[in-house]
Amino acid sequence: MKLFFQKLTVGVVLRVVHAALVELYRMDSRVKAEFDALPEGMSYAIATGHEAPTLFVRWEQGKLHRLPSLDKAVCNLRVKSTAHSFQLFTGQMGLAQAYARHAFTMQGEIADVMKLARLVNIVEAYLFPKFITKHILTDIPTLQKNPLSVYGRIALGFLTCKY
Amino acid sequence: MKPPYFEFQNSVKLLCGELSLERIANELQQLGAKAPMLLTDAVLHKLGTSGMVADCMQAEGCAPVCTFTDIPVDSSLRVVNEIARIYRDNGCDAIVAVGGGSVIDTAKGVRLVLSQNTDDILAISGVENLSRGTHIPFIVVPTTAGTGSECTGVAVIRNDDTGVKMEFLSPFVQPDAAVIDPRMTAGLPPKATASTGMDALCHAVEACTCLQANPLSQAYGMAAIRMIAGNIVQATRNGSDKQARFAMALASTMAGIAFSNSMVGAVHAIGHALGGVCHVPHAVAMTILLPHVMRYNLSHAAASYAALLPALVGDDAALNTPADNRAEAAIDAIVRLGSELNAACGLPLTLEAAGVSKDAFAQVARVAVNDGALIVNPRAADEQQVISILNAAF
Repeated sequence: MKLFFQKLTVGVVLRVVHAALVELYRMDSRVKAEFDALPEGMSYAIATGHEAPTLFVRWEQGKLHRLPSLDKAVCNLRVKSTAHSFQLFTGQMGLAQAYARHAFTMQGEIADVMKLARLVNIVEAYLFPKFITKHILTDIPTLQKNPLSVYGRIALGFLTCKY
Repeated sequence: MKPPYFEFQNSVKLLCGELSLERIANELQQLGAKAPMLLTDAVLHKLGTSGMVADCMQAEGCAPVCTFTDIPVDSSLRVVNEIARIYRDNGCDAIVAVGGGSVIDTAKGVRLVLSQNTDDILAISGVENLSRGTHIPFIVVPTTAGTGSECTGVAVIRNDDTGVKMEFLSPFVQPDAAVIDPRMTAGLPPKATASTGMDALCHAVEACTCLQANPLSQAYGMAAIRMIAGNIVQATRNGSDKQARFAMALASTMAGIAFSNSMVGAVHAIGHALGGVCHVPHAVAMTILLPHVMRYNLSHAAASYAALLPALVGDDAALNTPADNRAEAAIDAIVRLGSELNAACGLPLTLEAAGVSKDAFAQVARVAVNDGALIVNPRAADEQQVISILNAAF
């Protein structure tokens, strides 16, 4: 039951993270700059454990597309267990901490993970309250927009099946 | 503070001290090897350093069946793939690498290509993503006392197409054995002794203070710092001092074990970029950047820097320093060490002295922020912050 709950939570958070990246591309200049610097067709796969949710995204024609599956992503991250994924996606552990604790493996170039890490850090700064981010980020990125407006856009996006 | 979780691995057998080279053949035989390939660079080949190793192997019945001597100063992915092809063509069954960081990291790359049964190392790049693969017996003989690469689970290899130094992290790049023979560093010139020693110091400092630091890596790192602080100036001034040479070689190895198990930080991230973009030798970049990055990190790492002070200046001097000043005092001690080495051998202490132009800073910063070492630095750094560090080091 606990594992089912963790997988369910991780699956929901992955959807929200993707939605946040889509919205922040238009709301935060640093997110826009990171995406605009990605090569066309850049893709990430994030696996969160055995038979656990996976996020496949590809950057194409100025949009971050979430895909149902992907034969081979350019950068593949695999979190070593669902328990670690649950910590990572619920604000108990940042990406740098996950790296320091050997919580994931990666196939591809480390430079691509660094780009993703910067994006995730910004997303976390918007989505999580400060008492959480101060524990999981070495430095909290300055917010360019009110987090409530980001949540509002994400909610509207889900309601209109935008993602 | 102890981390909630950490990993520690050092599976390398160390052969340390006199007549170590004479034991290589026996080690190879125990590993089941009969036809080793010797890897080195042109300078060591010309100086006869690699020849000394080959002679020792031959004398005990395990001569290299082929030797590759063209490993460039900055290791390259293309050369890794080429050596793997030559290894297969010659029916070799083991690798012996004689050299500094570039030679050893190239050899690690070759071993990865061979053990994973591929032709292109780029196809297997990543972090902890490989299974063990075929065992290729692998022995390294470091000829500098600095890289610690003989004990690390990482290979840093330059991508010829992008100019970026790539990191390949896997426990399976660690050699089976490392041979620490004082004869290998006896002829190292003063400037190289100083810069590679500062590289080792940098490994130890970053290993003890980055986000992945753990009690075991800190134990190795602190011991390395103490040994380097006590011997680097003497080894630089008097290269024939065997005790100082051996101490530096051991310190370098211990620092390698430390950072292999807790990574490094911004000094290496920026240093790799300076090497890739401006071709600054790695050890020189480390020497120049270390105090400036420490000052940048100070607000986030004061306690861990303060803890380094006894190893740098001795217990009594550290105790006599007010607790609030110990982190700054640790940085000052490293600056003083650099100045002493500058006076002893002309070791460059600024980027300007190393021939770097400010015009390159933007490109260096762009590359540095994508270097994996930055992820565990105690303080985050964006491109502007990296440029500010570079300006301070200019």
